[in-house]
Amino acid sequence: MNRPILGVSAVALAACLAGGAVLADEAENVTAWRLFVSDHAQPTVTVVDALDGDVLETLTIEGPATLHRSSSGKTVFAVQGAAGEVHAIKSGIAFHDHGDHADIDVDDPELLHVHIDGDKPAHFVERQGYVAQWFDGESKVRVFTEEAVLGEKLEIRTADIGAAHHGVAVPFQNHVVVSIPNPEDASKRPVGARVVDFEGNRIGEDVECPGLHGSAASGSLHALACDTGLLLIRQAGDAPAIEHLPYAASLPEGSASTLIGGTGLQYFVGNYGPDRILLVDPSEGENGFKLVQLPTRRVHFATDPIRPRFAYVFTEDGQLHQVDVLHGEIENSLRLTDPYSMDGHWSDPRPRVAVAGDAIVVTDPLDGKLHLVNAARFEKAGEIEIEGRPFNIVAVGGSGAAHGGEDGHDHDGHGHADDAHGHDHDHD
Amino acid sequence: MKKPFSLVAGLIVITFIIFGLPARAQAQKLSVVATFSIIGDFAAKVGGDRIELKTLVGPDSDAHVYEPRPADAIALARADVVLVNGLMFEGFLSRLIEASGTSAPVAELTEGAEILRDPEGGHYHYQGGRAVFHEAPYDAHAWQSVANAKVYVRNIARAFCAADAEGCAIYDANARTYLDELAALDEEIRQAVAAIPADRRVAVVAHNAFRYFEHEYGVTFLAPQGVSTESEASAADVASLIREIREKRAAAVFAENIADARLVEQIAREAALSLGGTLYSDALSQPDGPAATYAAMMRHNSSTIGAALAAD
Repeated sequence: MNRPILGVSAVALAACLAGGAVLADEAENVTAWRLFVSDHAQPTVTVVDALDGDVLETLTIEGPATLHRSSSGKTVFAVQGAAGEVHAIKSGIAFHDHGDHADIDVDDPELLHVHIDGDKPAHFVERQGYVAQWFDGESKVRVFTEEAVLGEKLEIRTADIGAAHHGVAVPFQNHVVVSIPNPEDASKRPVGARVVDFEGNRIGEDVECPGLHGSAASGSLHALACDTGLLLIRQAGDAPAIEHLPYAASLPEGSASTLIGGTGLQYFVGNYGPDRILLVDPSEGENGFKLVQLPTRRVHFATDPIRPRFAYVFTEDGQLHQVDVLHGEIENSLRLTDPYSMDGHWSDPRPRVAVAGDAIVVTDPLDGKLHLVNAARFEKAGEIEIEGRPFNIVAVGGSGAAHGGEDGHDHDGHGHADDAHGHDHDHD
Repeated sequence: MKKPFSLVAGLIVITFIIFGLPARAQAQKLSVVATFSIIGDFAAKVGGDRIELKTLVGPDSDAHVYEPRPADAIALARADVVLVNGLMFEGFLSRLIEASGTSAPVAELTEGAEILRDPEGGHYHYQGGRAVFHEAPYDAHAWQSVANAKVYVRNIARAFCAADAEGCAIYDANARTYLDELAALDEEIRQAVAAIPADRRVAVVAHNAFRYFEHEYGVTFLAPQGVSTESEASAADVASLIREIREKRAAAVFAENIADARLVEQIAREAALSLGGTLYSDALSQPDGPAATYAAMMRHNSSTIGAALAAD
């Protein structure tokens, strides 16, 4: 393994010099970032310390996985489509929010003894500790809590989705927003969304949104993409409410089918054709859409939870682009890998992007490495070699106050610091 | 105590230097961003027609949990003056300022106000049935005392004068007129509270945003700490609050415009008290509501409290 250039962050530099993966200054501030990287072909998830590049753990699961982190960062879910399994991994990093600061607990990562079996596990959505795991062959969506997963006592509730189809569900405490299967042919894309409860009741009116695919959260707002616009889902009193936001008339013909959500600023980024992305500020209605032209076709994208002004797009020419979401422009571009053509199968090994503190991390499956980019300067900052074909990646971490040796520290009733979370499901 | 230091890390708190200020073209209005509706109303009163005002967190919305949008960052980037409460009230602010790249001066309006420590080290908000704790050493809801509101208004006039010297006389005149209105409002509230029998001046709210009102006008507010309508422990926690309500002989329970009413409804039921109406704590009402301005909000709150507590 090449150790990364120690410019990923000043904090990381101090950590490496101190020889520690987790560091504490005199004020007991601790920073910890971990990367969870799945292999394209092997049933493994490699856990890497993002601050010093050391591999902490290689976890063996059932099959190649798509990874999703919970908004709390406590759990990483490995959705293994081919193996028909979903595993949960305790990230080992947890925050306890105290308003003006957060406490951090750092522990070993751990493959938990809970797993969710079923044919064709597909869309995974987590919202405020509630998880909806969709299985393409089932007529109900399974919902459970992150807390139960971490306690390894899984209690699954199910909600009716009408008929088995490739759809999506957004979980709430007592309700679920579910996609509506195409009545002509359930194998086609869903035609809208509705609110249901766990007793088989529908709440309110169905909302049309043909060609529905793609889902993301930004703060408390959740969005689903479709041919005619976005469905915006908010908590409204006891139940969620769905509102249709049509694409601006000024946009060219097209639609989004993959969404990610901003952290720190409430916005969404969607694909809009193979070589454009769409920035959406839902608060601005018709005026809230900005189209960004990319030099070549998009491979993957991510938002920056630390520097909310920026999102990153990796394109098939091997470049990473820094996008200013306020102005809708590419601010900087950086070549990182050899070209990765978007021709071929949607699931061929291609780079994925995550942000870990001061570093943007890009997987390079064909070269067996992670590329590190200093997010502040947008310059290459190093590489981490990973065995096999590192593919999917999520980052978990942050900074907080450590209370070493403090027994019984009480967090009852306290909120939890949220961090980056976006749902991405690439097969457009 | 007077506020000891600036609590919004990384913000540029303006210094009020009058000399050498850029003159503004008459046609160009001062671009002002106010973080939430109450200080937006103050800004409108002081700035009048000379300012272009954008308020980030609008009526009936909770600034503690506000999620800023790209449009907010763009507004900040274009602003001449940014008005904030400070005291960690606007949790979203430092990230938003950083994202915007604004070079506008940020006026922290609680500077110089009489600030209370929060004896609990923070307070709870109720969103979607959950209790969310906001830890802060000082109570941020300083506008609930009209004396402090006057400090906000003076700070706004100074901030506007610093950014627009030509308009300073207008801002000062507007501020003086408004300060006279606030003095009358303060007296009105005192009279409303005086009409409540002394042994009935105890109320219950879900989110303790009224400590300054209590300090200034002598009505005690009880608020649950950490009770969640969805938590298993809530029955025991509510029972503890019910005991306190009975011991202190609270006379009414109030809902708030920014808070989930389910919790106070539960408390009112279990304490056999009536709901005394809705108070406006951290945000104004919609324009057609009973608290569309700060003065209307304080009048509505004091009359609602007075009517409910005085009733047998």
